[in-house]
Amino acid sequence: MGMHSAPRRARPARTSEEARFRLKRTLTPQRSGTQVVITVLFVVFGFTLTAAVSGNESESILANARQSDLVSLLDDLAQREARLEAENSRLENARETLLGGDEYSALNEAKRRADALGVLAGSEAIIGTGIEVTISGNLTASTLIDAIQELRDAGATAIQISDRGLAVRLVANSWFADSSSGITVSGTALQVPITISVIGDPSVLVPAIEIPGGLVDTVGSGGGEVTVSESENVDISAIVPLPKS
Amino acid sequence: MIPAIGLLVGIVLGLLFQPTVPVWLQPYLPIAVVAALDAVFGAFRSVLDGLFNDRIFVISFLSNVLVAAVIVFLGDQLGVGSQMSTGVVVVLTMRIFANVAAIRRHLLKA
Repeated sequence: MGMHSAPRRARPARTSEEARFRLKRTLTPQRSGTQVVITVLFVVFGFTLTAAVSGNESESILANARQSDLVSLLDDLAQREARLEAENSRLENARETLLGGDEYSALNEAKRRADALGVLAGSEAIIGTGIEVTISGNLTASTLIDAIQELRDAGATAIQISDRGLAVRLVANSWFADSSSGITVSGTALQVPITISVIGDPSVLVPAIEIPGGLVDTVGSGGGEVTVSESENVDISAIVPLPKS
Repeated sequence: MIPAIGLLVGIVLGLLFQPTVPVWLQPYLPIAVVAALDAVFGAFRSVLDGLFNDRIFVISFLSNVLVAAVIVFLGDQLGVGSQMSTGVVVVLTMRIFANVAAIRRHLLKA
C-alpha cells in the first residue's frame, strides 16, 4: 500500500476470469512484513488444527459423558462387583465344605439333592404346606391339564390327584383322558368329585386357580363346583415306582 | 502462496510432534480453530471482492480467534459453556457457508 501508487479501487470482480486473476495475484509470493506475519499465523493455525483434531480423537467416551451418566455407570459396576463377590464367596464355601470338611457334609449335600429330585420325580412321599382343590360336577381332561399347567407355573413342587379311594401322583409323563364317569389319569380311572393336592406357596397357587378363565371359572360355567382350602399338612402319599434299571 | 505452504508446514509439524492440548485450553481450542477457519474464508472472499488488506486480515484473524475463545470462556464462567460454544460454532459455520457461497459466485458465476 504505497502512497505513490494509484489507490486501488475496491470493487467486486466482474468476471470469473478476473476473479481467478485476483486469486492468482494474491497467491503469488510477495516480500512484505505482513506476508511473514500471515505465514507465521498459518503455521500456528495448521499446528493448532492437528492438535485440536488429534486431541479430539484421543478423548474417550468417558471424558465426554455427563455426570449423571458416569454416576449410573459407576453404580452398575459396583452392583456387578457385589454380585460377583457374593457368587465367589458362595463357591468358595462350597469348595471348602467339599474339600476340607468331613465326608458327611458331601454325603448330606448329595442326600439333600436326592430328596429334592425324588419329590420332583414322584418317588418320595411328602407332607408340606400347600392347597387342596376339590372339584365336583362336569370335568374334562383339557380343563384339568390347563389347571395343572397353571399350578406348575405357580411353583407347585408336587401334585397328586385323588378321588375317594384312589390317588395318582403327577409327574412329567402323566397323562389325562376323559372317561364316562370321570377322568382317567395315567391309566387310573377316577370318579368325580376329585381332589387335587398341591405342595407349594398357597399365596401363589390360589390365584393361579382363581384367575379369570382359570379352573374355577371353567368348572363353574359348566355347572360344577370348586372348593379351595389351604393347609400346612397337605399329604401326598402316592408315589411313582422307580423304573428298574 | 507462502501462507499456504506455511499451513502445510504447520500441519506436518503437528502430525510429527503429536502435541497434547493442555486441559485448560481444551474447550477453547476447537472454537478458536473454527474462528480461524472463518477468517481464512473471509479473506478469500475479500480477495475476490477486491477488498483484501493484509493488515486487516491479520487483525481480524487474531481478534476472531480471541473473541471466540473469550465468549466461550465467559459462557463457562456463567455455567452455559457448552451452549455458548454451540452458539459460536453455529454462527461461525453460517459465516463460512456465506463466504464460500460468495467465493463460488465469483469463481464460477453460479
